[in-house]
Amino acid sequence: MTDRSGTTGDLSGFQPRLVGFLCNWCSYTGADLAGTARMKYPANMRIIRVMCSGRVEPVLVLKAFAEGADGVLVSGCHPGDCHYMEGNYKALRRRFLVEALLEQFGIDRRRFRFQWISAAEGDRLAEIVEEMVAEIRLLGPLGRARERLFQADHLSLNPAAGGPSPA
Amino acid sequence: MAHSEPVRVGVYICHCGSNIAEKVEVQEVRRYAEEMEKVVAARDYQYMCSEPGQEIIRKDICEGLVNRVVVASCSPRMHEPTFRKTLFDAGLNGYLLEMANIREQCSWCTEENRWATEKAKALVGAAVKKAVLLEPLEERSVPVNPDTLVVGGGVAGIEAALKVAEAGKKVYLVEREPSIGGHMARLDKTFPTLDCSACILTPKMVALAQNEKVELLTLSEVEEVSGYIGNFKVRVRQRTRYVDPVACTACGDCRDVCPVELPDTFNHGLNNKKAVYQFFPQAIPNVFQVEKAGDPAPCRHACPAGVNVPGYLALIKERKFAEALDLVREALPLPAICGRVCFHPCEEQCHRAQVDKPLAIKALKRFLTDYEAKTSPEKKPKAPEETNGGRVAVVGAGPAGLSAAYFLAKCGHKVTVFEKEPEPGGILRYGIPEYRLPLEILKHEINQVRAVGVEIRTCVEIGRDITLDDLHDQGYDAVLLATGALSEVMLEVQGADLDGILPALSFLHDVRAGQRPKLGKRVAVIGGGNAAVDAARTSLRLGAREVKIFYRRSRLEMPASPEEIAAAEAEGIQVETLANPVRFLGEKGRVVGLELVRMRLLEEVDKSGRRIPAPVQGSNFVVEADTVIIAIGQRPTLDLAVGKWEGELQFDKGGRVRVNKSCQTGLKGVFAAGDLVSGPASVVEAVGAAQWASAAIDAYIRGEPLPVVEDRPERTVPFPEEREVLPLQRQEMPELEAEKRRRSFAEVELGLDEEQAVLEAGRCLHCAGCAECLQCVTACQAKAIDHAMKDEVRELEVGSIIVATGFDLFDPSSAPQWGYGRYPGVVTALEFERMVNASGPTHGKILCKDGKEPKAVAILHCIGSRDKNFQEYCSRICCMTALKYAHLVREKTGAEVYNFYIDIRSFGKQYEEFYQRVQEEGVHFIRGKGAEVVETGDGLVVRAEDTLLGIFREVSVDLVILNAAMVPARGAQKVAQVFGLQTGNDGFFMETHLKLEPLKTSSDGIFLAGVCQGPKDIPDAVSQGAGAAAEALRNISAGKVVVSPVSASINKELCSGCRVCIEACPYRAVEYDEEEEVCTVNEVLCKGCGTCTASCPSGACRVACFDTRQLMAQIEGVLAG
Repeated sequence: MTDRSGTTGDLSGFQPRLVGFLCNWCSYTGADLAGTARMKYPANMRIIRVMCSGRVEPVLVLKAFAEGADGVLVSGCHPGDCHYMEGNYKALRRRFLVEALLEQFGIDRRRFRFQWISAAEGDRLAEIVEEMVAEIRLLGPLGRARERLFQADHLSLNPAAGGPSPA
Repeated sequence: MAHSEPVRVGVYICHCGSNIAEKVEVQEVRRYAEEMEKVVAARDYQYMCSEPGQEIIRKDICEGLVNRVVVASCSPRMHEPTFRKTLFDAGLNGYLLEMANIREQCSWCTEENRWATEKAKALVGAAVKKAVLLEPLEERSVPVNPDTLVVGGGVAGIEAALKVAEAGKKVYLVEREPSIGGHMARLDKTFPTLDCSACILTPKMVALAQNEKVELLTLSEVEEVSGYIGNFKVRVRQRTRYVDPVACTACGDCRDVCPVELPDTFNHGLNNKKAVYQFFPQAIPNVFQVEKAGDPAPCRHACPAGVNVPGYLALIKERKFAEALDLVREALPLPAICGRVCFHPCEEQCHRAQVDKPLAIKALKRFLTDYEAKTSPEKKPKAPEETNGGRVAVVGAGPAGLSAAYFLAKCGHKVTVFEKEPEPGGILRYGIPEYRLPLEILKHEINQVRAVGVEIRTCVEIGRDITLDDLHDQGYDAVLLATGALSEVMLEVQGADLDGILPALSFLHDVRAGQRPKLGKRVAVIGGGNAAVDAARTSLRLGAREVKIFYRRSRLEMPASPEEIAAAEAEGIQVETLANPVRFLGEKGRVVGLELVRMRLLEEVDKSGRRIPAPVQGSNFVVEADTVIIAIGQRPTLDLAVGKWEGELQFDKGGRVRVNKSCQTGLKGVFAAGDLVSGPASVVEAVGAAQWASAAIDAYIRGEPLPVVEDRPERTVPFPEEREVLPLQRQEMPELEAEKRRRSFAEVELGLDEEQAVLEAGRCLHCAGCAECLQCVTACQAKAIDHAMKDEVRELEVGSIIVATGFDLFDPSSAPQWGYGRYPGVVTALEFERMVNASGPTHGKILCKDGKEPKAVAILHCIGSRDKNFQEYCSRICCMTALKYAHLVREKTGAEVYNFYIDIRSFGKQYEEFYQRVQEEGVHFIRGKGAEVVETGDGLVVRAEDTLLGIFREVSVDLVILNAAMVPARGAQKVAQVFGLQTGNDGFFMETHLKLEPLKTSSDGIFLAGVCQGPKDIPDAVSQGAGAAAEALRNISAGKVVVSPVSASINKELCSGCRVCIEACPYRAVEYDEEEEVCTVNEVLCKGCGTCTASCPSGACRVACFDTRQLMAQIEGVLAG
């Protein structure tokens, strides 16, 4: 689907690929609301539902970049609103770890966004997707950092190949 | 179905009519799916959720074709349960289902078909990849506790509670106000039938109160909710009423004697009620309660002796002067003295100062003693009937010693006070001049102390005439040292030993002892404290021509009280600040003048927080003076032989005796208080110290644990912002004219008269609510009132929770264009409801603030609703309430009524008919929102654009009713957090589905009823209440509910026992198994958030349905292609 004419040069046709990890109770519901209200936003964002933003471990974010994502969004309930009391705070703490990790791989931290989106904020979700698409269009495709991710065997980005997850 | 079989995925794509199919090329998606590995069937159908649609899936499963199912349709939040059931019905585990959300998150939110189709393919691909890795899960069911909690006692909550109780199930109803009834209890008539609101509500309230299955918890709020559907644990804080609800007969005797008036919140503050009150006449429970702010009033908080200031002010207002003075004496045995010399920190903190001037608290205290002296001069405090045998020696008959002796004697101890001077009183007797504190007053007050059984022995100096050891031998159980801080600090500069240089305290002492020390014509006083001012004013009265006070810092830092300084200046005394003596000049051994240097203040501050003074080089100057009085400080001294008391006395650098938090010195049985401990302070501080010391001594003698001087509570009650406080003039203390007092020791302050005192006391805001004057306790024959009652915390266990926390009205004072809060003629809808109600502040009369009936009334619709500046939603009830008000105004006053509306929304049963009826009653309808309310000479003018006539209109009226929007109740956000609810952008609680699940929330087992979910009228709120009851009863009736099997588990083989997951789990569902040295998950407590899985460093922790492998497969899926 994507037009990947090259990593340099004219980027006008570049369609960034985005993955969003959205918590079931707030942000995923907010994304549903955006649809129900027929708000239109770029189709670049592919949403993966998790029960809580606290579920999103750094390796999932790296996996998304390794598999071809140009940007990743993690979104959970606003502070104080978490369905699981404090999972969103755990996610917030992990955010800084993820950002540090990304830098080590030479991935611009603007490619990773961490947002609070409530179940009532469909418009906010749409807005954030638009912002991310615009920003990452300027940054261009992820490029060679992806190869570095794949070379990092210890990250076990391919659990089927004998990572830490149980068989 | 055994899952060891090869995986065969079936993909079922829904068209959702045209909802999906018009954007997504379904066939292209189907073909894409068909091509995928492990996919054995890919089908599409018009409506997959329909019976024939589900049948397609069932058939494939039953025929053994597929053993994993992907449904690509709407959000899983919509139809996941539907399709799970389809799988179960066909004999396949329902958790072998994965949904691809190609409607809400694809077809509905994407502009172009091509992109929507690409996205749908990616989402379906991801779902297939995840489905391959799905595993079957066993659903668990948990028993449902049959008890229900209803939160909020408005009509929705009442209905819900009543329905559950009538079904024979236990209900707890928690309401934060003192009575159930909510807003409906405040309404007058109800549209469209014009039933009396109370008449139709109170039978329900009574039915609820009488139902034995119902437990009402009023004045209560839920603090914490834990557990899960069917098994909640709820912590409720029940604020105390200070009234025993069983004993209270609601006779109202307490209300009749209560002197404190506070805004009546039931009537929206339109009138006042007493601090002990019944919420409204039909209140349920039908008992009284006392309103207290919780924190002390600032005056009482600031008083070192903790005198109940609001209490005695309230009693003065009621002319109960004797009772008021008794209340003062409970904490302060020297009221006449403090009424004269106190530095009144209470007045500095008084909240009324924010409006005009603080209460004249000191003057009012003095008035009480003046009044007693005039009306019952022989009155003596009662000595305790029995003594308890304890013997206490108090050393020093100053304010601390006398007060402690009084408190101890009141406790039943035999107290002897030893005083070295010929007369008792200490600094009061020998330090404070006659014109401030007449001897007669001092003697009277000391006699009051004697009257409670205190023996005072004068001319006995401890350490000279008698030793501390002698007291030990004489059998005293305890000794209190209260010898004050009377050693004077002298200036150590050249010439300080010249004749004519006097220490201030000895000077004042000699004058008070009846001598007349020789003074020159020019007197210079060095120092800035009260002793300096006292010495200066005394010098003037003794005949000095010219008296000057020199102080080294600025006036701001002068420790003397500003009134004293002002009085001194009025008498002609000059105060020169920022001047410090460097040497005294003498002739023939006598002082003739002094050389001073100018000072300036540095930016730095010293330990006392005041800026440090420093000399200005070369600014020395000389002043002539034939007498110099030094008043630069005092310090405690104590010299004792203490061999027979166990331990030793310790002093700090300033000579102060060291004591612990229970006023104990290093000697066992010897306590100390007052200036001896604190250094030079005030009378009232000495009294405060004496309170603690006497309590400690009392406990010591009784062999009980000693009380500890606690740090003052940090909080006082804030200024009552919600009240309208009008300025009232402070009654100032009359004084002797300055001319007359220059040569006389007659008392300067003359005292307030009775009328002044009553007026002044009436200025008190009673910001802390109840003044604790305890008149109600005396008046209550049922003995139901107890001011020592404390809040209670209840732990409830319930299976279902119904949240019905209601609403508040939008506060129109935030929108100045409508004049609310500025013009008295502008009222809100709920205020009008109270005005027009027979039990309201005007007894049902519609009146303007001037007491006249209005001739024209404007009703403004949509105030704060349907307005982008405030709330965008329609508040739904306002059109109909406006029609009701129009009818009531026409009926009761015949006034012209103008409705300013955008649209009339009379949508309910019989609503349109009511609209017709009101139109026929001659009410004016102007289509156009009231834009502005302004005041002119004649009254109020409403400005609006009449959009039917296309003209701008100005309508003169006397009364404006603002139909303000319903907004979420104050504290709704906190309720949402406590119960785990979600709120919409409007702040109302979110339901699971706007149309189909309006009562359920995202927290299973917690339901919504009434306006907390969104604006609605009474019929809708009642219906929702009954509906929420049905939701609760369904679970109760089933006896058990299925809970999600999505939970975490830990693989023992991989777990390293690091216990990171235990920290991560918000539910304490993970435990450490000491024997096996691994962590285990308690599935009952686990809610499946997966935070533990995300934190596990060894990949041992897995969460069903959202396992790492599954999510990684999904990532690969969304990014494939």
